[in-house]
Parts: sequence; C-alpha cells; structure tokens
Amino acid sequence: MTRKHWKKFKEIVERFVELKDTSELMIDLAYSSLLLNSKELAEDVQKLEEHVDKLHTDFEMLVLSCGFKPKESRAFLGLIRLGVVTEQIADAAAEIAEVVLRGIKPHPVLKLVIEEAEETVTYVQVAKNSSLVNKTLREARIPEETGMWILAVRRGGKYVRPKPNIKIDVSDVLIASGYAKGEEDLKKLAYP
Amino acid sequence: MPRLERIEYKPISVRELFLEVKNLSELMIDLAYSAALFNDKGLAEDVLELENHVDTLTYLLEMEIMMAARDARDAEALAGVSKVASAADKISDAAADIAVIVTENIGVHPIVREGFEKVEERLTRAEINEDSVFVDRQKGELDLAARMGVNIIAIRRKKNWIINPKDTELIKSRDVLIARGAPSGIEEFRKFVEGKLQKLED
Repeated sequence: MTRKHWKKFKEIVERFVELKDTSELMIDLAYSSLLLNSKELAEDVQKLEEHVDKLHTDFEMLVLSCGFKPKESRAFLGLIRLGVVTEQIADAAAEIAEVVLRGIKPHPVLKLVIEEAEETVTYVQVAKNSSLVNKTLREARIPEETGMWILAVRRGGKYVRPKPNIKIDVSDVLIASGYAKGEEDLKKLAYP
Repeated sequence: MPRLERIEYKPISVRELFLEVKNLSELMIDLAYSAALFNDKGLAEDVLELENHVDTLTYLLEMEIMMAARDARDAEALAGVSKVASAADKISDAAADIAVIVTENIGVHPIVREGFEKVEERLTRAEINEDSVFVDRQKGELDLAARMGVNIIAIRRKKNWIINPKDTELIKSRDVLIARGAPSGIEEFRKFVEGKLQKLED
C-alpha cells in the first residue's frame, strides 16, 4: 500500500470507529432516557441519529473513493456492510428514544428491566477539588480505580467521545456505566 | 436456512423476557464486532444462533404483552414496551448482519483491526484451562474490575449462555469467558484464564 493510500485508510478506520462508538453510545443513552424518563436525553439521541446519518454518508464516500484494487473489493464490501450496521443500530436507538418523546409514560416493566440489568448508567459532575481535573482519561484510570466505563463526557451542551487523551475539565459531566459499587467510587473521585 | 424454533405460548413474565432480549441484543453486538475483526467463524455462528433465539423470545414477548393488556391504559403503556422490544430485536438483527460478513467469507480488511486495537477496549473470548486459578471461584470473589479493569460479560458453558453473570456465578473448567477491558488488563486476564499466571494479588 502506498503512503497516500495508507493515510486514506487510516481515515476510513477512524471514521468507522466513530460510527461504531456513536451508535453504541446512542443505545446506552436511549435506555437511560427511558429509565430517567428524560426528554432531554431522548432529544440528544435523536440529534445523534442525524449526526450518524451524516457520518455514515461521509464514511461510504470515503470507502468508495479510496481506490482499492479489484481483488480487495470483498474486504471493502465488508467495511461498507459494517457501516450499514452502525446506522441500523443508531436507528434502533432513536426508536427507543422516540417512546420517551411521544410522552408514553414508561411502563414499570421497562424501568425494572433497565435497573435490573446489573449495569447502570450514572452521571457525575467533576468538582473543582477533584483529583481528576486536568488529567487525561488515560491518566485518570477510572476503569481500574472504580470498575466504571466512561461512555461519554458531556461538556457544555456537547457529547465528547471518551478518547484516552482527552483532558477532564472542571464541571464536565462524566457519563459512565458499571455496577452499583463502582458508582459510589466514581462519585468519590469526581466530587470528594 | 436455520431451523426455526416452534412458537408456543409459555407463561413467562414480560420482565424476564424483555430483560433477556435486551441483554442478548447488546451482547450480540459486541460478539459480532469481535467476530468480524478477528475473522472468528465460531463466534459468528454463535451470533447467528443467538439471533434465532432472540426472534423466538420476541414472539413470546409480544404474546405476553397482548395477554397483559386489560384496558386502554394498559395498552398505551405496553405499546412502549413492545416498541422498545422491537428495537432490541432490530439491534440483534444488525448483529447478525455483521456475523454474516464472516460466515459468508466477505471479511473485513485486516488493517481495520490494527486501527481498532489502538483505540478500543478489547473484547476477548478465552476458554478456562483446568489449571486456571479461576476454576471453582465465584465471579465476584475474583473482583476483576478492580484488579485489572476487566468485566466478564458472558459465559458460554457447552451449549448454554449465561449473560451478565451474577457475582455468585461459579467459574468452571472449560467455560468460555467473554470479557471486556483495556488491552493491558485483557492480556493479564488471558494469562490467568490460560493458567499461566497463578497468583491473584490483592
């Protein structure tokens, strides 16, 4: 592969990872919106769905224009298919969120199920005196310390993907999933 | 064409059915991506089998929902459950579409995997060696999340799947564990599963 191709390929992979992450984040957020009966969160899911549509088109254009050889076409078909799947997942998440937006009061069964699934989603805001401030996610070692996985970081009105090298700021909201025990530990880290 | 399970009404609670559909669909996504990235046919076939099972569960769930609605108010509330269940079913269909990429030998360019390994939490599938220190220990007692940042998300025991195993679940020799975590933790985890590392430090 030539250097030019390599660069393009790296971009394709990055784009795909973003699609995958976003679609999975959407599922988690969609279920959370049900659990919390939160229209705000459900609207975020809808917005992300539009964002995924756009990302998906860009991704397909990028793959189709990368100049692959005929013998590589199967492997690239695989990539295109993966892209289609992320979009389907995003759609499913949007449908879940739609239940909240339509004002259907969540049936108790939904809440029970989401709470019973051992993992819960939690929101913690980082306080000024937290040891997490100014650390990157990698340095913060949150999964190792608490067993909680960061799903997203809400900064102002935006969702930031939890890349290892992003820096945690004061008043960032960490959205994390994990077990009840980890939730307490995470809260202690975020606002001691 | 896979053999379809026969649908017959069984009294199972809506809650249990729904919980299983939700958990399975989420697990399937993880398994399917893993199967595609590591071109793992066995795992892809597991996903297709699970998809078949989720379809059956969705039928049963719809039946339960119909039985549970006594009046208009029930129907309103249960319509939401039905909608969410069908979304979960769609997610499992999407996972099956990923698995088909593997079973039909389409494959994904290997460079995708390299790109992935750098940024992603990894999912691994490892069979418990009889010498592993994990054998006959409870999942919770191992405290893997705190020790190495790894979560066991499913156990395959022969033909059965235990999804989101409870802390009290005993790990047995020859279990296939599906676990997720940061790459360094996963490596350590594999060594324990294979019996190469023996001492769990506190």
